[in-house]
Amino acid sequence: MSGQPERDDRNDRKDRDHWLARPENIRLLWRGFWVVLALTVAAQIFIPVKGHFVVDGWLAFGAVFGFFSCLAMVLVAKALGYSLKRDEDYYLKGGYLEDMEDRDA
Amino acid sequence: MPEYLPPAVILIVAALLIGPTRGHVRSAIVLLAPLATLWAIWQVPDGVVLTVPFLDYQIEPVEGSDLRRLFATIFAIMAFAGGLFSFRQARWYELAAANAYAAGAVGVSFAGDLITLFLFWELMALFSTVIVWAGGTPAARAAGIRYAVMHLIGGVILKVGIEGTVVHTGSIDIMPVLATNFDTWMMLIGILINAAAPPVSAWLADAYPESSPTGSVFLSAFTTKTAVLALILLFPGEPVLIWVGIYMVMYGIIYALLENDARRILAYSIVNQVGFMVCAVGIGTQMALNGAAAHAFAHIIYKALLFMSAGVVVYRTGKSKCTELGGLFRTMPLTTVCGIIGALAISSFPLTSGFTTKSMISDAAASQHLVVVWYLLAAASAGVFLHAGIKFPWFVFFQKDSGLRPKDAPWNMAAAMVLFAVLCIVLGVYPQPFYELLPYPVDYEPYKPGKVLFYLQLLLFSGLAFFLLLPLMQRTRTISLDTDWVWRVALYRVAYGIGAAAGEAGGLLRETVERIRGDIGRFGRRHLGAGESGQDRGVFSQAWPIGVTALWIAVLLIAYVVVYLL
Amino acid sequence: MTGAATILAALAVPLAGALGILLAGRVSANLRETVTLVTATLLAVVVWSLLPELMAGARPAVSVAEVVPGIEIAFRVEPLGMLFAALASGLWIVNSVYSIGYMRGNNESNQTRFYTFFAIALAAAMGVAFAANLFTLFLFYEVLTLSTYPLVSHKGDAATVRSARVYLGILLTTSIGLFLPAIVWTYIAAGTGDFTPGGILEGKLGGPLLGLLLGLFVFGVGKAAVMPVHRWLPAAMVAPTPVSALLHAVAVVKAGVFTITKLIVYIFGVDYLFGQPSGEWLLYAAAFTIVAASAVALRQTNIKRLLAYSTVSQLSYIVLAADILKPLAEVGAAIHMVAHAFGKITLFFAAGAIYTASKKTEIAQLAGIGRRMPWTTAAFTIGAFSMIGVPPTGGFVSKWYILAGAFQADNYVAIFTMIASTALNALYFLPIVYLAWFGREPEGAKEHGEAPFPAVLALTVTATLTILFFFFNGPVIALERQLIEVWE
Repeated sequence: MSGQPERDDRNDRKDRDHWLARPENIRLLWRGFWVVLALTVAAQIFIPVKGHFVVDGWLAFGAVFGFFSCLAMVLVAKALGYSLKRDEDYYLKGGYLEDMEDRDA
Repeated sequence: MPEYLPPAVILIVAALLIGPTRGHVRSAIVLLAPLATLWAIWQVPDGVVLTVPFLDYQIEPVEGSDLRRLFATIFAIMAFAGGLFSFRQARWYELAAANAYAAGAVGVSFAGDLITLFLFWELMALFSTVIVWAGGTPAARAAGIRYAVMHLIGGVILKVGIEGTVVHTGSIDIMPVLATNFDTWMMLIGILINAAAPPVSAWLADAYPESSPTGSVFLSAFTTKTAVLALILLFPGEPVLIWVGIYMVMYGIIYALLENDARRILAYSIVNQVGFMVCAVGIGTQMALNGAAAHAFAHIIYKALLFMSAGVVVYRTGKSKCTELGGLFRTMPLTTVCGIIGALAISSFPLTSGFTTKSMISDAAASQHLVVVWYLLAAASAGVFLHAGIKFPWFVFFQKDSGLRPKDAPWNMAAAMVLFAVLCIVLGVYPQPFYELLPYPVDYEPYKPGKVLFYLQLLLFSGLAFFLLLPLMQRTRTISLDTDWVWRVALYRVAYGIGAAAGEAGGLLRETVERIRGDIGRFGRRHLGAGESGQDRGVFSQAWPIGVTALWIAVLLIAYVVVYLL
Repeated sequence: MTGAATILAALAVPLAGALGILLAGRVSANLRETVTLVTATLLAVVVWSLLPELMAGARPAVSVAEVVPGIEIAFRVEPLGMLFAALASGLWIVNSVYSIGYMRGNNESNQTRFYTFFAIALAAAMGVAFAANLFTLFLFYEVLTLSTYPLVSHKGDAATVRSARVYLGILLTTSIGLFLPAIVWTYIAAGTGDFTPGGILEGKLGGPLLGLLLGLFVFGVGKAAVMPVHRWLPAAMVAPTPVSALLHAVAVVKAGVFTITKLIVYIFGVDYLFGQPSGEWLLYAAAFTIVAASAVALRQTNIKRLLAYSTVSQLSYIVLAADILKPLAEVGAAIHMVAHAFGKITLFFAAGAIYTASKKTEIAQLAGIGRRMPWTTAAFTIGAFSMIGVPPTGGFVSKWYILAGAFQADNYVAIFTMIASTALNALYFLPIVYLAWFGREPEGAKEHGEAPFPAVLALTVTATLTILFFFFNGPVIALERQLIEVWE
C-alpha cells in the first residue's frame, strides 16, 4: 500500500486537471492557432477583399493592421499607466464623501 | 381611459407591486411584467397616440415609430432577462427599482415631446441610483451619491436646454436639430452626460461595479442606450459627435487595458461601445443611424451577457479582481462558454450579433469617405477584441489557477445567460428578420466573403498580439486616475479651503462684535440699570447677532452707495 | 357673505378662536384641541370661499379705519395674497393635527399658551396677506413677529430664550430700522402706499435711489431671510417642531417672500424695475444667498438646522424669481411659495416625528431609521426630492416656471444658479436619504416605532400634497397668471 499512493497522487494531479490546462494540450492549441492564422492570410489569395480606401484591400492588411494597432494600444496604455496608475485605495483618503462617511460613523 | 396605455405604465405598476408581494407572486410579477410590456409595445402604432395636458402644454406621452419600438423592445427584453437572472438572488427593492428604471427607459423611447422625455429621464436617474446603492457597501453608498449628483446635474442641464428651446421656439416637439446655440448645446451636453461622454465618462466605471452582481446587469443597459436614442432623435448628423464618439472608443480601450477589476473592465467597455454608437449618430446617414440602432440592440444583449457572467463569478466567489481570479473554467463551464460568446459578440466576430450590426457603422463611415474615422474604428475593433473579447474571459476564467473552485451558475442565472447567448448567435447567423425592424431600409450584406475574411484577419491577429504581449499586461492592484479626480479631490479641497477661510473670518468678526457687545452691555447696565433678566432687557443686551447683522447691513449699504456713485 | 365681510371674517375667526382656545384650555385639553381644529377649518372655509371671485377676476376690498389722513387700514384681495392666505389657512389645519400628536407625544407644558398664540399668529398672517397698503401690511407684519415670539421661546430654558431673543432682535431691528423707513420714504415719494398693479414709483423715484429703497425693503423684510439678515432662522430652530413647520412653511417665511414679491409687483412695478439697472443687485444677492446657504447646509449635523439653511436657500429662489422680472418667473415665484411650503412642512413634520419617537436630533443618528419609521422616512424622502426639484414632486413645477421666466429674460445668472443649487441640494439631502433607508443601526440601539398617529397622518397628507401638486396645479397656475395679465 505504501508504494502506490505516490503514483496515484501524480495521476490525480495530472489526470484530474482539466484537459485545457494540461501543457501538452496548450502546445497543441498554439499550433492549431498558427495554422488558422496562416490560413486566413492565405485565403485572401482566393477571396478578394474589397478595399474602401485602396490599402485595406492589400494582402494581409487586416492581419497587419490588427496586430500592429493592438501593439500600439498596449504600448500606449502601458505608457499612460505610468502616470495614471494609483494604488486601489487611493480615493479612500481625501475624498469629500469618504470624509462624511467618517463623520457619520 | 386612454386608448393606448403607455407601455411604461405596466412596468411602473409592477415596480409598485413587488414590495408588497412575496414568493411566487412576486417572481411572477418580475418575470411577466416585462413580457406584458413587450406585448403592449407592439400594439403601439406609428404617430402620436396619446396627449395629456401638463402645465401649459399638451404633452404626448406615447408616439410610435419603428425606431422607438425597436429600442423599447430591447429594453423590455432586457427587463425580462435581467429579472430572470436576478429574481431569486436580488433584494426586493433592487428588483422594484430595476422595473422602475426599465419603465423610465421605455417611457423615453415612446416620448413624443421633450417634456415627457425629461420626466422619464429623471425617473431613470432616481431608480438607477437606488440600484447602485443596493450594492450595500460603503463604496456603493459613496459611488451612488456621486452618481446621483452627476445625473441630477446632467438632468438639470438637459432641462435648461429643453426649457430654453421651448421658450424660444414655442414648441415642445422632438425634432432633429444641430448644436448651434445655448439651448441646443445644453440639451446635447445633458444627453451626453448620460451617454458617459468625456469629460465625465468616469462616472460609469465609478458607479456600475459597486452595485450588486445582479444590479450591474440592469445598469449596463438603460441609461447609456436611452441617451443614444435621444441623440438619434435630436442630433442626427451633428458633426461634433463623430469625434466625441471616437474619443470614447479609445478611452474605453485604454482604461480597460489598465484595469484590474473585471466589472470595471466591462464598464470601460460600455463607454467604448457607446462611443461607436455616438460616432455613428454623428455620421448621420441612414446606414449610420441603422448601424447605431442595430448596434445598440445587439450591445444590450451581449453586454448584459458579459455582466451576467461576471455577476455569477462575483456571486459565487465574492471576488472581482483579475489578480485574484483565474482558472474558473474548471468548475464553471457554462458561465465560461456564455462569457466567451458574449466576448466574441462584442468583438464583432463573424457568426455573432456584433458582426452583423457594428460593421454597419464602419461601412457608413466608408461610404461617407471618412478615411480617418474608418481607420480609427477598424483599429478600435481590434482593440475591442483585445480588451474585452480576450482580456476579460482570459483573466477571469483562464490565466492561472487561482485555486478557486466555485460552483457554476444557479439555474435562473444560467437560463438568462443561455437565452442571451443564443440570441447573440441567432442575430449573428440569421440577421434578416432583425434588419426588418430597423428604422431605415437595409441593403447591407454582412456575410460577403471578403468582409468576413478581413474581420477574421483583424481579430485573429489581434488575438495573437494579446498572447504575445501578455507579459506586458500583468494585472496590478491599481486603479487609473480619471477626470473624476477633479471633483473627488480638487474641488473638495477648494471647497474645504473656502469653508475654513470663511470660518476664520467669521470667527474674527464674532470676536470683534463680542467685545462691542460686552462694552454696550456694561454701559447699559451701569447707566440704564438694565439687568440680565427679563425679556425686554434681553432685546437690548443680546446684541451680538443683531450687531453682526447691523454691521453687515451698514457695510453693504455703504459699499453699494460707494460703488454706484463711482 | 360679501367679499368685504369675508375678509374681516378671515381676521376675526382666528382671533375669536384664540380667545376660545384660551377659555377652553381651562376646561379640558380635548376641548381646546377641538376649538383649534374647528377654528382652523372655519378659517380655511372662509378664506377659500373667496377663490371663485378671485378666479373670475374680482378683487374684493374693505377699508377699516383711517388712522391719519391718507393712511388707512384697508384690505384688498389679489392673486398673490389669495394664494398666501389659502396656503396658510389650509396648512394650519394639517399643522394643528400634527401639533396634537407632537405636543402630547412629547408631554409639552403650556400647551394652551401654544395653541393660543398660534391662532393669533395666523390672524396676523391673514392681515399680511390681505393688506391693501404698506401701512396695513407693516402693522400685521409686526404683530406676526411678536405673536410668534412666545412660540419660539416655548421651551423656556435659558438657551432657548437666548435664541428666541436673537429671533426677535433681528426681526424687530430690521423691520423698525429698515422696513419702516422704507415705507415712510415710499409714502413721501409716491404720495400713497396702496398696492397698485404696475407699481406706484414710476416717475416718482429712479436711479440709484430706487436701488437703495429696494435694499431697505429687501433687508428690512427680515422674514425673507436674504443674507445677511437670515441668522434668525437657524436660531429659531429651538422652537418645537410644529412651530418650525409654521415658521418655515406656513406663516412667517412665506410672509417675508410674499411681501417682497408683492412689493416688486405692486409697488415697484415689474416692467419699471426691469428697466432700472439699480435694481439688478438683488439678483446677485438672491443668487448668493441660494448658493451660500446651501453650502452652509452641507456642513450641518443637526437635522433642523440643515432644514433651516435649506429654507434660507429656497426662499431666495422666490426672491430671485421675483427679480427676474418676467411674467413666467413671477408665476414661478408664486408657485414656489406653494411647492416649497408643501415640501418643507413635510420635512419638518418628519424631523419632529423622528424626535418624538426616538429623541434623535442629529443626522448621524438616522442610520436605518427607514425600517422603524417607514412612513416618516418616505415622507422625508419625498420632501427632499421636492427641494431638489425632481419629478413627480411639486418642486419640479415651480422650478420649471422660474427657469422659463429666466429664459424670457435671457438671465444666465439665474440659470446657472439653478444648476448649481440643484447639485448642492442633492449633495446634502441624498446622504440623509441613503442613511435612513440603507444605513445600519448601531448595536444596542433603542427600540422604537413610528410617531404618534396624528403626526404620521399629517406628514402623510403633506407628502401626498407635494406629489399631487405635480399633477394637479392647473387652478393655482391659472390664478397666478392673473398677476401677469395686468401688464402682458
